[in-house]
Amino acid sequence: MKLEYFIVMGICIAGPLVLSFSRKINFYKSPARLIYSIIFPMIIFVVWDIYAVGKGHWSFNEKYITGLYILYLPIEEILFFIVIPFCALFSWEVVKYYSNKGK
Amino acid sequence: MKEYTIISVIFVVLSLALDRILKTKLTSDKRFWVFWIIMAAVSFIVNGYLTWRPIVIYSEEYYMGIRLFTIPVEDFLFGFSLITMNIVIWEFFTRKKS
Repeated sequence: MKLEYFIVMGICIAGPLVLSFSRKINFYKSPARLIYSIIFPMIIFVVWDIYAVGKGHWSFNEKYITGLYILYLPIEEILFFIVIPFCALFSWEVVKYYSNKGK
Repeated sequence: MKEYTIISVIFVVLSLALDRILKTKLTSDKRFWVFWIIMAAVSFIVNGYLTWRPIVIYSEEYYMGIRLFTIPVEDFLFGFSLITMNIVIWEFFTRKKS
């Protein structure tokens, strides 16, 4: 199914997105912190990805992507660099919350 | 050495350098490694799915050819460097504010 990669990204972010509004972690305390920590790595990884796809290091299965492209990359791959970091940052805050609680 | 292997190693070095440059020193923080145990487990599921379908297809020419389950080992370096950069910048701003 063409929506499959898109759906995988949606499933990944669903839980963290809902739980990120929990008052316990104050995830949105600083919007700048959230934006910078996703955008800077995203820029250099997108450059790497464009290079890698151009050289043929890896490619995307046409069966599972919508076919919409941004900067030579499937839109799902661009989303990957937002979704995965978002989930990681949320998880990091959860780890910090529980380790501080134990002290 | 294969090209994907080389680039992924360079990115891991860059992410660790960023941790030192911004003085976040997360690699010396126990919580960071606890976090990575969880991340490694999650990436096995997500990246495992992407490489098993496969949604992402790798050219044999450019990686070592070693896979854990269906995941090229270089992918773990890719994920490690991406997420480490995210967390380092996040912590830099978190500490700057407080």
